[in-house]
Amino acid sequence: MKLPRLPRLPRRKVLKAAIAFGVLGATGSLVALVRSRGYEVPQDVRGKLVGLEAWQYVVVQHLARRVCAGDEPGVVTPDEADVAGFVDGYVANMAARMRRDLGRFLGVIEQLAPAGLAMSSRFTHLEAADQDKVLGSLESSSSDLLRGGFEGLKALLFMGYYRDPRTWRILGYDGPRVEARP
Amino acid sequence: MLDVDAVVVGTGAGGSIAMRELARAGLKVVALEEGGYLRPADFDQREDHMFPVLYQDGGGRTTEDLGIRVLGGRGVGGSTVHNTNLCKRTPDAILDLWARRYGVEGASAADLEASFTSIEKDLSVSEIASDDINPNNDALRRGALALGWKGAVLRHNRIGCQKSGFCELGCAYDAKQNALKVVVPQALAAGANLYSDVDVRRILVERGAAVGVEGVAHDGVGSGKRPVARVRVRAKVVVLAGSAVGSAALARRSGLPDPHARLGRGLRMHPGGVVAGRFDESILAHRGIPQSYECTEMLSYEEGSDRRVWIVPAFAHPIGTAATLPGFGAAHMRSMRAYGHLAVLTAMVHDETSGEVDVDGDGEPVIRYRMTERDRVQLAKGLVACARILLAAGAREVTIPAVPPVRVTNARELDALDTSFVRPFSVPLSAVHPMGTLAMGKDPRVSVVDSTGEHHQVKGLFALDGSLFPTSLGGPPQISIYAFALHLAKHAVAAAKR
Repeated sequence: MKLPRLPRLPRRKVLKAAIAFGVLGATGSLVALVRSRGYEVPQDVRGKLVGLEAWQYVVVQHLARRVCAGDEPGVVTPDEADVAGFVDGYVANMAARMRRDLGRFLGVIEQLAPAGLAMSSRFTHLEAADQDKVLGSLESSSSDLLRGGFEGLKALLFMGYYRDPRTWRILGYDGPRVEARP
Repeated sequence: MLDVDAVVVGTGAGGSIAMRELARAGLKVVALEEGGYLRPADFDQREDHMFPVLYQDGGGRTTEDLGIRVLGGRGVGGSTVHNTNLCKRTPDAILDLWARRYGVEGASAADLEASFTSIEKDLSVSEIASDDINPNNDALRRGALALGWKGAVLRHNRIGCQKSGFCELGCAYDAKQNALKVVVPQALAAGANLYSDVDVRRILVERGAAVGVEGVAHDGVGSGKRPVARVRVRAKVVVLAGSAVGSAALARRSGLPDPHARLGRGLRMHPGGVVAGRFDESILAHRGIPQSYECTEMLSYEEGSDRRVWIVPAFAHPIGTAATLPGFGAAHMRSMRAYGHLAVLTAMVHDETSGEVDVDGDGEPVIRYRMTERDRVQLAKGLVACARILLAAGAREVTIPAVPPVRVTNARELDALDTSFVRPFSVPLSAVHPMGTLAMGKDPRVSVVDSTGEHHQVKGLFALDGSLFPTSLGGPPQISIYAFALHLAKHAVAAAKR
């Protein structure tokens, strides 16, 4: 099932419109209120986020578990590779405009994309199989914006995963030839 | 506040030459570079470490509609730090076209010969030795030969190459004979001054002439940037050399006169897609010189040609490969397990599409580029050609990373393939050669700068980077940028001495 077709508009207009028209379920300020509640970040991360808000961190953590899921038992997991932690640090160094857009897109995935598949729960409350359906709908969406956004997010998550030398063994990649430098 | 004869914004191929030539002419020169001053010891061959410091927006820059990833360099040396060292002169047919169609004067092959020769000598340009062609490039060579298609070994600027395969992350061995290693030191030795980590925000113009720039010096990158000082430079000449994206964005946010609405327009960037072939034998394409062979069977420089595709190998380290392969989750990881057996080619379009560089409310670049149907058809032809080459080279299976992915195992399947799916958003596209936003030409109605590189309306303001080119080059731009900057720098020198 595909998400409803969105009009072709510049990306930021679409994301702003999504908020302005209440498709995320509230006005911008209410969305912020909803987003900030009900998201439990791990104890060791709490208070230490530098780029992501707590709700965004949780969404990224769930996304990483599906996008970077292993194909067999025993491969390093996205949590072990601390993909969400990497994204938090990476986002802190992104230009403000890109960071805003990413935050909005995470909001769309969390709130809007499941609704597009007639799922009543937000993304982070879905079972893994349903989360995969949501991601599949984004990847094959008729909306260029959603497809493009998903590809960008996917690249960021894979950067967080495949930067971990333990993942290189999966590929037979021998890694840098220069010694690690401080 | 600095008071100099000339200020150069950007220190890549064009900017480094400009600062060197101005300094060698005895002028007081300062160059301002947005990124940092990295040295070989800083290049640790890690994608996650190097992308944020070597690439604009950490490698995440895209067109406004998210359809094409646009990779541009930042830091002293610009894109010459992370490029793959390809050295190919501007084709004669392109120079002829610029003279004929755009009224570009004094830039024939004969006019440029001395500049090309000089820069090729400075950068120690030579042909790659045949036994330095790695298995990925050899797949392209074998496939092209099997099909009877045109191809050639490329020329590079490298000495002492360790064939580590990490060129796009900066050379840890200092083997790249690039702006960072060769030209910037020459400029500094000639007396130029350089300030890195300075973000130039505005060109200062008084009474129709450029009189300097102002910007902000900072620590860090991205939103982690911390302003540490305001910078103001007064100069008789301002040279823009921050790439076709950066220079155009600076010109736009400075509100330069633009009576014919040409500023920032005419963007070309060689958009390209990739095709992966899985071989039984080990390829280990990430090792060795990344790009040493080209296929030009489908490349013509004639205006309006329907053969406008340049094919070269394109291989990435794990993160780049993961981002390009289709899908996610367990299926994606299964694809990644073939990493060591993949050969990857890219088809870049010698594009006709005219895009635009604008700025947003914060003054940051916005890239608009909607691929024309003619260019889309070229892209599709190019991807199919890459697939044919890989099959001819012995690939067991070839994948075009679309959603869903297109997989073929023989040429007959390619013959029957409906390629209407090939378009931005349906296949991952990237562009590494932005050109043409401050195009040179005789007629101010269709160009921004004249044949000397000087702005039509703002005296003393020069563009000496890839933004000069009125059309796509159809090949790697670095040597063209170096050579044009060298060829035109005498006009900036003369203006600074006026």
